[in-house]
Amino acid sequence: MRFAIKQVGVGSERLGHLTEFVRSPNCAIETPTAALMTQGGSVVHLTAEVLAKVFTNPQLLLMPLSNTIKFEQGIKAQGEGIAKFAGLPQHIVCSTVNNINENTPLGHFEMDKVPVWSNNGKKMITADRYMDLMELFKPDIVLAIADGRVSLSEGHKRITKSVDRTCNMLNTCVNRFKESTHLQKSSLIGVVVGAGNPRKCEACIKQVLQHKDVISGIAISGLTDGTEDSYNVPMEKLEEIFQRVSDAIPKDFLRIVEGSWNPAVIVAAIQAGFDIFDGSYPLKLTNAGLALALKFDVNKKSEELCIMDMSDIRYKESFEPILAGCECLTCKKYTRAYVRHLLNTREMLASVLLNIHNLHHFDQLFYHARMHITATTYRVFKEHITKQYEIYRNNQENIPKETEGVQENDTPIKKIKVREDSDVNKINNSSSYS
Amino acid sequence: MTPKVVALSFTVGAECKTSRARAGIMKLPHYEVKTPVFMPVGTQGTMKGLLPEQLESLDCEIILGNTYHLGNRPGTVILKKAGGLHKFMGWNRALLTDSGGFQMVSLLKLAEITEEGVKFRSPYDDSEIMLTPEKSIEIQNCIGADIIMQLDDVVQTTFQDYNRIKEATERTSRWLDRCLRAHNSPNEQSIFPIVQGLLNDKLREQSAKDHLTKDVNGFAIGGLSGGEAKDDFWPMVSLSTGILDRNRPRYLMGVGVAIDLVVCVALGVDMFDCVFPTRTARFGCALINSGQMNLKHKKYETDLQPIDKDCSCSTCKNYTRAYLHCIVTVETVACHLISVHNIAYQMNLMKTMRKNIEEGTFPQFVQGFINEAFPNGHIPSWVVNSLSSVGINLEKS
Ligand SMILES: [Zn+2]
Ligand SMILES: [Zn+2]
Repeated sequence: MRFAIKQVGVGSERLGHLTEFVRSPNCAIETPTAALMTQGGSVVHLTAEVLAKVFTNPQLLLMPLSNTIKFEQGIKAQGEGIAKFAGLPQHIVCSTVNNINENTPLGHFEMDKVPVWSNNGKKMITADRYMDLMELFKPDIVLAIADGRVSLSEGHKRITKSVDRTCNMLNTCVNRFKESTHLQKSSLIGVVVGAGNPRKCEACIKQVLQHKDVISGIAISGLTDGTEDSYNVPMEKLEEIFQRVSDAIPKDFLRIVEGSWNPAVIVAAIQAGFDIFDGSYPLKLTNAGLALALKFDVNKKSEELCIMDMSDIRYKESFEPILAGCECLTCKKYTRAYVRHLLNTREMLASVLLNIHNLHHFDQLFYHARMHITATTYRVFKEHITKQYEIYRNNQENIPKETEGVQENDTPIKKIKVREDSDVNKINNSSSYS
Repeated sequence: MTPKVVALSFTVGAECKTSRARAGIMKLPHYEVKTPVFMPVGTQGTMKGLLPEQLESLDCEIILGNTYHLGNRPGTVILKKAGGLHKFMGWNRALLTDSGGFQMVSLLKLAEITEEGVKFRSPYDDSEIMLTPEKSIEIQNCIGADIIMQLDDVVQTTFQDYNRIKEATERTSRWLDRCLRAHNSPNEQSIFPIVQGLLNDKLREQSAKDHLTKDVNGFAIGGLSGGEAKDDFWPMVSLSTGILDRNRPRYLMGVGVAIDLVVCVALGVDMFDCVFPTRTARFGCALINSGQMNLKHKKYETDLQPIDKDCSCSTCKNYTRAYLHCIVTVETVACHLISVHNIAYQMNLMKTMRKNIEEGTFPQFVQGFINEAFPNGHIPSWVVNSLSSVGINLEKS
């Protein structure tokens, strides 16, 4: 894989592209962009057939080891890597150790090992074992194994451990990567942790950059431990971290952000020069029955919130698309009322339709960001998106807790009262014979 | 003058010279359906996470919706405003709805049946509710399916009390008249009467003969596939198809396992529905000619073949058994993938039967299918007997 910067904006924001992929040599992925979050090797809720209806081009996919480690025997037998095994051979795979948002117990640590929670329980993974698996999986991009599931508010001791462990394991990853024949065409990404402590973070970057001739970029982790609380960080603090890390690393390095960050954080990180984002945010919305509805036109103000709760009673008889003008398969053919009905009845198609919309719309966020970088109007776009998210956030704070769909792992569906919808129940109110 | 609209026209294109199997075309307002046909069940206006466009590419021509569920949610008010279920769910091909009665009796313990209708307690607020034949048709008129079912008096198939069975059979005929009177869109929707009588041949014969006199476009055979012995099941199917006339389609309710489909097509059935193919997919079971493949089994961990190398579905083209093994019962995608294959399996089986009927090779097809399904030669006696009753005499492989 090759990363090249095409244009740098007024701030640190930049346009780039990824090319020269082994399995898709003609594919180019424009940055800034998001990698679609997968689970068990598939884009969540979407089969290869449906994914092809959403995106016609090869996509960048984030594949955490935690939910793909079970493929080991199968991939070994097939010998063609994880993309082929998961039925998505033409797509570009970026492997990482964990999906930061997976709900896993915290606080299980051993030196030089990272816990990976799979369906079969906890496995302690060393850097050597990780690289063994990477040689089998043959991803296009390998994020080095790291102890990155650490929130910014962690204490000194935990952050120190996280940095030490991550840097030690990186040494092993780098050595193994250099010797590997299977990963010659892949790219290794060093992981920067310790952001909660500026001095530790600086030390981490220094150690990561010792390998700057081998690695192709850095991923910033250690901003969140995946819990909802740890995502509640003041924007200024995140902006400061993004800028500080960005300034400390070579310009031609690919920069990745891990974690399920909201659109306001994403547009801030883009401004600081980050290129690739963890695409789990739209999935998080989908799983909560929510639809992303940002307005991208900077000249238009909108009264509507940028996140819609599709199970809301107000959409009961709304025979319009989720978002007027949206070009996704869901909005072109299905109505809010139908999506609400599917959520209400807990049908699987609800997640399929919502995810199609959310993935498409999230992709559009990056498309518009790139357009504004090209036009040197990125700052305006960033403010436009930030404001919409702030309005939503303030609105959420002003309503009772139970409607905060995103804050819960479970979907808000159960709160819907179905009684009022029932016709069969009204039967006895009228005379039985007509 | 508006041109005369026919809600259903059925043409038998080919008949098996040996058995009662026939292939035909059933023209419905939304689609021309090739029979014999299997109709997957999409209970609440959706099919197990599949998009309608996926069902189309699987060659599904007609699917089933459940009136009881749809009447509850989204409810007739919304369905009416949406312009019917077709528009609401984005499905442009044919639909069939059941009457809601079976669901009530099977789902709700407190259902009580009187001459007026089915009385039950609301699972939501415990109030007493009555589903009458008129109400069932009213809801089905709102849903707007191409084929709708009469409300029938449902008795469990294995029930023994003759008087109750007789009452149910006769009441079903009376309720048919009420349904036909209440029907407000006979040019767009066809009501199918349901042949009842459980396992009693006299009552079943009477029921079929009663229905034959009615101005209807097709018939359903009900009251079977409810846990009765196969030796009791097939003679009732045979009795029913033997009485119903050849110019109207015959729909056997709740049957969808491959061997049953093959036997019942030979007995002259044109339409089937069953939740089995999609329900079994949820548990990681894929349908193949030799039965079911449980993909959870450890032996598939490194099996790099598709579920079925001869299947052209998108699952078999893209995915290995090894991959499916890893994700079944864990990821929703696995359920979608196996549902796609299982529906493709059903559609393929029906298509193969149609082709063999048209080409005059149906008996040979049946022999080949049986050989594959029972490779050790232990063919169940009911299969041997039912097929020989229509002239297909199986040879031991
Ligand atoms: Zn959309
Ligand atoms: Zn298949």
